[in-house]
Amino acid sequence: MVVPILLGITFLTFMLVRIGDQNPVAMLGGPMADEVTFAVIEKELGLDKPFFVQFGIYLGNLVQGDLGESWQSSERVADEIRNRLPASLELLVFSVLLGALVGVPVGLRSAQRPNGLFDQVSRFVSLFGFSVPTYWIALMSIFVFFFLLRWAPPPMGRLDIASFPPPDLTGSYFIDSVLTGNWTTAWSALGQLTLPVILFSIIVAAPIIKHTRAISLEVLASDYVRYARAQGLRPRTVRRVALRNAITPILTFIGTELTGLLAAVSLLELIFAWGGLGQWGLNAILLGDFAAVQGYVLVLAVFSVAIFIVLDLLVLLLEPRATLRP
Amino acid sequence: MNKPTNWLGSAALAAVLALSAGGAGAQEKTFIFGAVGTPAGFDTDAWLTGTLETTVNVYEGLTKHAIVTDGSGREVIDASKVEPHMAESWTVSDGGKVVTYKIRPGVKSPFGNELSAHDVAHSWAMAKDRKRVGNFMVKVGRVESVEAISDSEVKFTLGTANNIFPRILSTVFPALVDSKVMKEHATADDQWATKWMAKNTAGFGPYHVESVKPGEGAVLVYNKNYFEEKPYFTRVIYREIPSAASRAALVKSGQIHWADQMPIQQLVDLIKDPKVKVDSVPGTGAATLRMNPNFKPFDDIRVRKAINYAFDYNAVHEAVFRGLGELSDSILAPAFGAYYTPAQTYQTDLGKAKALLSEAGHANGLDIQLEYSDNWWWEESLAIQTKDALAKAGINVALKRIPKTEMNSRRRIGKRDIPFFPHLANAFVLDPGYAFYLSAHSEGSSDVNDYNNPKFDALVDALIGETDTTKAIALAKEAQMMHADDATFVISDFPKTYAVTAPCIKGWLWYQHDRVVWKHLRCEG
Amino acid sequence: MTDTSIDRSAAVGFTTSGRILGIARRSPTFAIGFAIVTAFAFVAIFADLISPYGAIETFSRQVLQPPGVEFFFGADGNGMDVFSRVMYGARYAFGIAVPAATLMLLIGVPLGLVAGYKGGVLDEVVLRIMDVLRSFPSIVLALAVVSATGQSLINVILVIGFLDAPIFARLVRSEVLALRSSGFIESAVAAGNPTWRILFVHLMPNAIRGSTAMIAVRMAWAVRISATLAFIGVGIQAPTPEWGAMIRQGAEFVISGEWWVALFPGAALVGIVLGFNLLGDGLQDLLDPRRKATGK
Repeated sequence: MVVPILLGITFLTFMLVRIGDQNPVAMLGGPMADEVTFAVIEKELGLDKPFFVQFGIYLGNLVQGDLGESWQSSERVADEIRNRLPASLELLVFSVLLGALVGVPVGLRSAQRPNGLFDQVSRFVSLFGFSVPTYWIALMSIFVFFFLLRWAPPPMGRLDIASFPPPDLTGSYFIDSVLTGNWTTAWSALGQLTLPVILFSIIVAAPIIKHTRAISLEVLASDYVRYARAQGLRPRTVRRVALRNAITPILTFIGTELTGLLAAVSLLELIFAWGGLGQWGLNAILLGDFAAVQGYVLVLAVFSVAIFIVLDLLVLLLEPRATLRP
Repeated sequence: MNKPTNWLGSAALAAVLALSAGGAGAQEKTFIFGAVGTPAGFDTDAWLTGTLETTVNVYEGLTKHAIVTDGSGREVIDASKVEPHMAESWTVSDGGKVVTYKIRPGVKSPFGNELSAHDVAHSWAMAKDRKRVGNFMVKVGRVESVEAISDSEVKFTLGTANNIFPRILSTVFPALVDSKVMKEHATADDQWATKWMAKNTAGFGPYHVESVKPGEGAVLVYNKNYFEEKPYFTRVIYREIPSAASRAALVKSGQIHWADQMPIQQLVDLIKDPKVKVDSVPGTGAATLRMNPNFKPFDDIRVRKAINYAFDYNAVHEAVFRGLGELSDSILAPAFGAYYTPAQTYQTDLGKAKALLSEAGHANGLDIQLEYSDNWWWEESLAIQTKDALAKAGINVALKRIPKTEMNSRRRIGKRDIPFFPHLANAFVLDPGYAFYLSAHSEGSSDVNDYNNPKFDALVDALIGETDTTKAIALAKEAQMMHADDATFVISDFPKTYAVTAPCIKGWLWYQHDRVVWKHLRCEG
Repeated sequence: MTDTSIDRSAAVGFTTSGRILGIARRSPTFAIGFAIVTAFAFVAIFADLISPYGAIETFSRQVLQPPGVEFFFGADGNGMDVFSRVMYGARYAFGIAVPAATLMLLIGVPLGLVAGYKGGVLDEVVLRIMDVLRSFPSIVLALAVVSATGQSLINVILVIGFLDAPIFARLVRSEVLALRSSGFIESAVAAGNPTWRILFVHLMPNAIRGSTAMIAVRMAWAVRISATLAFIGVGIQAPTPEWGAMIRQGAEFVISGEWWVALFPGAALVGIVLGFNLLGDGLQDLLDPRRKATGK
């Protein structure tokens, strides 16, 4: 089931990067190359072969773990991905954690008193999060917090210029610095993380608030909860019962949101020069760097599929029967 | 593949400490260069991001230009003649067609190998075989063969004697490589070790690549075997900082020494800032709009002239270059000294433009398309101003942005099918013959609008072979006038080259390749 | 003559203003959303009349002039008036959202109808294709397509239309599945109606009801994604006054202090997307009252 989807995506991407006039041969040859050289370069890139042959070769290499080479940087795509994925994940994980930690309780609380003041405010904030373009709010925040207030550091990546990356344990500069006791680096990493994480967590929290609220309202209105209330159980117990039943759909929802987030974080990476997968992938698409684009899309798709699988497992684990037991 | 993760930061940390401590007594002086991107390769025949910026500091030539002081007390290079550098002398024979260079002893690469004639022959053979920039120089310099006649003597045989050739030897095209090291890394299907060159260098110049980390930058160190005086900076951190605003902020706060490629708005801001030193030299390449006379309606010289008259030079100077470029009036820049002649006979004149259009049969207006890309920062703003200005003469310009790869692809020799587009050609050799050949000779690699005028070609060919200065000046003048009259270019500003640095940086010397040469720099005061 | 007129003010539902008030009372969300969208539509339609300058009129000596009397929202990097461009930008917002939404429906609804009604292999195939498209992050797909096929508005609209069509296909399909075995359909079949008639005359009006709110939401999405594409640099040709493209230009200047170039187009974007979202939420409230219990 998974394989055909991945195959379909790979094929689609392969096709997309090759239509249109995105031919890097002239760029690589430089302004002073001649026809012979262009032919040689084309051969080196494998672009002289017919489309399906190229695709076949790519697939053959793919199963051996060779994702090709980026013509723009001469690096192996697999290496580029390995180098940059941790950066994106760091940003993503922190933002999702923050967004969920804030969003779920807010959504739950809103559901308890629908249309009350808290609810109205949180719905407005959530709606705002839905409507605001990530890149725009990022730019405005940089203007206010960096340019005007000088609270945030310059948007130049994961560390400031005087810090060095800590030993590679988890891939997260912040966590690794803390784990190895490099407090200055940790501080620097934290500083660089602050603004993008806060911004992205707002974007993440918005749908979480909305759906948590919707799901808990449904659960709170459901038969077994009403029965629990009718039985005279304490409100707290009732809430716990409701939560137990709500948690699965909430988690499922967060998971489905996650699949799109790895792509959504790319814009933020661009603006903060984060050095992550998204920034690299977007640039590759714009430049027409075939192998890089294919690698990028593949990673996104695999990530997506992996999340779905994990979610399915999670649901299997957590799915309680609708129960009164607190 | 193990990549060191600590080098960049620890080096940077040391550098920043040195910066703040004034660098007094520190053994290693580190220069922090804020660049747009990590170098993607060090092959001078394959220009990727950061290639030229680094290789001009890694490779040096058999000759060099002398450094003189100009009228204002500023140190400049003397474009008109060359001096011995890695060659200690040369002899000319056969009417200038055979030049034999004697290699200076003791010129060593970081690997300990001494420069020999075989290295030179290897480098030129590589250029010829790869048929790119290096090969272009082979053709322009009319080089027919390069032979190592002994370990220390190399003989160049030219088809025609010319003045360009010695100057080419001062450039990195082709790069003089340590052929022993290159051969170690060559493989069966990569005889010139181009793959190894993507991440490493083996030159005889002052710096050498120590490591590269994609996404972060590169570290270059001083070549301890360098044959000339040791530069002030013995370590260079070439740091990737894609955002121009970040580079500006970092140079303002003193955390980097040099902020490369600052866009115009940042420049306007930085020039006013006392925490930053901004220096400039006039540019040698003009921002132009090229018209391809093989495509309608640009095949009609009246239309081309009309566009030249309709263009609003002052508006572009103000709006696009914010007053920070130099209005130009010739295909050559004033930097060419005696060879430069104010030739541009076009000032904004809507009346003339409309009259010419009428004459050409377009009294009711004209529809053309301007295709542009993002090879240069000013392309889009120039396109927009052009659309606006030409509209006043009844010319409706449809703008179309195309990807860089497409633009480069369609500009190349053999294709050249873009009717109307922006371009800038910087002459790597400060020679008028070279400049004309590059941009407007039918064989020129930057003759991207396919201008093909046999009379002009003949003039340029004569100029290249002309060794008498007075005659050369006259030829150059004639060429400039002819080119202006043919009106295939709309020439706007010569963007200046800016150096945005920390206040302590001194010694910037501009070279015609328009990249920063680190060995002259120092940090004082 | 006896006064047979009814006291109109009390007869909510009988007069237009009464109806409007009634709707507003039932769903203030809808009312606000509707008001916002209408305001933008007004600006889009009458931009020629109400904007002080042209959309691409350049004032080359006043590049980056701050907001003031001459240029309410300041001038951008090419010397164009941001205020006028923001107004004309509304045209592009609607000009992309409306055709894209139409396309989504034109493709998605028939697909969903057929897949849901016929079932079988066709259904499976459609579902698989939709799965592939769903796993592909839409922004990346859109970016790749527009990059490859060239900078044009039409391509952007086409891509958005195709990308979101599966959403409607799915919605309609599930409605059809539910309705397929209902009484009126069975009788329509028994009466000998040809399939196409059943699909489009009997099923469609009912199946589409649940999608109405989604239309507004997808229009919000269409505006957002085209702006994002323009921000990255594909799809919209300069100097078109599209809000995303304007933010793109503004991005360079934000960090050197010229905040107005990016702020105002972004605010407009937020406004219209908010409007569409509220409209969608409100429509949901109004048309699908059984969902209202969840307070959506």
